[in-house]
Amino acid sequence: MNQKATYVIMAFSLFLLGISLRGRGPGPGVTYVTLKLPDSLPKPAYDFSKNPLTKEGIALGRYLFYDPKLSRDSSVSCGFCHQQFAAFGHFDHALAHGVYGRMGTRSVPTLFNLIWQKDFMWDGGVNHLDIQPMSPITAENEMDMPLNELIERLKCNEKYQQMFKAAYGTEEVTSQRMFKALAQFMATMISFDSKYDSVKRRAPGVAFTPEEAGGYSTFQQKCAGCHKEPFFTDFSVRNNGLPYSPNMNDMGRMRITNNTGDYMKFKVPSLRNVLVSAPYMHDGRFFDIFQVFAMYDHGQEKGSTVDPLVRGMQLSPKEQRQLYMFLNTLTDKHFLKNAEYSEVMIAD
Amino acid sequence: MILIMKYVNSFCHSQKLFFFAYFRFMNRLLLFFFLLIGKAAVSQSVTLTLTHEVNHQPMRANKAYYTAQGDTFTITKFKYYLSNFSFTDENERVLQLSPEYFLVSDDSAASKKIVLTGLPLGRYKAVSFMIGVDSIMNCTGAQSGALDPVYGMFWTWNSGYIMAKLEGTSPASRLPGHALQFHIGGYRGAHQSQRMVQLKVPFAVTAENTAHINLVADAATWFNGPNPIRFSETAGFMAPGTVGDRIADNYSHMFSVKTK
Repeated sequence: MNQKATYVIMAFSLFLLGISLRGRGPGPGVTYVTLKLPDSLPKPAYDFSKNPLTKEGIALGRYLFYDPKLSRDSSVSCGFCHQQFAAFGHFDHALAHGVYGRMGTRSVPTLFNLIWQKDFMWDGGVNHLDIQPMSPITAENEMDMPLNELIERLKCNEKYQQMFKAAYGTEEVTSQRMFKALAQFMATMISFDSKYDSVKRRAPGVAFTPEEAGGYSTFQQKCAGCHKEPFFTDFSVRNNGLPYSPNMNDMGRMRITNNTGDYMKFKVPSLRNVLVSAPYMHDGRFFDIFQVFAMYDHGQEKGSTVDPLVRGMQLSPKEQRQLYMFLNTLTDKHFLKNAEYSEVMIAD
Repeated sequence: MILIMKYVNSFCHSQKLFFFAYFRFMNRLLLFFFLLIGKAAVSQSVTLTLTHEVNHQPMRANKAYYTAQGDTFTITKFKYYLSNFSFTDENERVLQLSPEYFLVSDDSAASKKIVLTGLPLGRYKAVSFMIGVDSIMNCTGAQSGALDPVYGMFWTWNSGYIMAKLEGTSPASRLPGHALQFHIGGYRGAHQSQRMVQLKVPFAVTAENTAHINLVADAATWFNGPNPIRFSETAGFMAPGTVGDRIADNYSHMFSVKTK
């Protein structure tokens, strides 16, 4: 065969291939990033082949996360409610805050180990990490920002033009690119470095105190059915017996499925970093973990959808004290202070 | 060929592997190239033009129409997704086109003209498509193009596309401003709102001409079909659910082929 012709065809085909792939994935010259995860963990639910992590993508995601321009009046960023020192929950706030002093109806969930999670929000109504931010960004009582206006706003910003170009090869701002960058940043929020994890991997010189060990055994008997190790949640929605609140009229999962069998079912939250992320429950009604223990011990509401695993649970004062000691070992100080997640100051 | 194989056999193992890999790579590239230049000769595009009507009259903003139940109403917004096009030829063979998604909106003339490419030459007798977006695109993250959520056709609190949207007013509506708001969606479980449509339409795809198909979508079917809607009872529905399923059943009869 004529070699020259082969080369010409080859070059042309590559050129065509280049055109068809343009603007889809990461841009040229990006630095790919691989998450360092403990070997013992299952495969993440998040499909990284559709959104490969890059240094530039993560940086863009972090910038977006801390940019108040994502809200209507440029006052509330994602990081406004999701505070790193509270494991990306909202310290001391029962309910989410929004623009113009508005307030939401649910508490701010913590953010970590999200790449194993399939459903998001307290009622599991959002089905993918990529599109989760759409909910708080557009919600009237949170950031109240219509998506099309937000994309226009970012397009006109020089800093974003540079950052989108670095991450994706062109300056084009699309909602898909924005969501994927946010997902990349959130995907890096991994918390598996608590005292519990050190004990589990038999790190030298680390052991549970007798109180912590007692708490761990109570946890395994009474809590681990739903708050399953190693994530300390089984990612399901359940009714934990929390009394219905007429003030909030929130029936949880039932709103999503229209099924009365889902009355008062809410997502099982992870217990990792639980002692730094008060208040508790979907409506933040408990500011102290001992109120949560008390609810399980004697404050449950009866009902057909209450999970059999929590019905009739009893926690003695000793068990409660030891549980508290054990939950303390789930605080991951490295995660709470990791400089890679810290706030970026955005002045414009 | 035998000569080539003999030549290849004289290679050491790694050379052989490389040769085969190279051979396969070149083959693919050539195939790709020929497919590209070959396309023009063996396939053509089909243009679908959509016209919106209400009770067989042209759809106009703020014009009054009647349902079969006697309710007066106007339409201010009319949008829907079409996807998963396939064609049946005279030999009953079904040709599924590569997945593409189109958002048709009454206020955008450009959206009412859909060009489908890659249909092999031949004589056809029917077209099929989905009103809505298939489940896979509802649960695989952030999408682009017609599926970009900036078009307001995505539910943020209960993930999934709004397959079709009709908004307007009716004096019978008890909603504020006598509004009508029907956002039909739901892609899983008991409430799946995607509807397949098949329409008989004879046409030929030849190398010389692009085929044209004129479709009419009659919005009155939303309320008049097998499940009649009274605006005094139901003036809006904006979640996956039974009412949405019923309206989707109604509007699955919305399309017809216009013959001049």
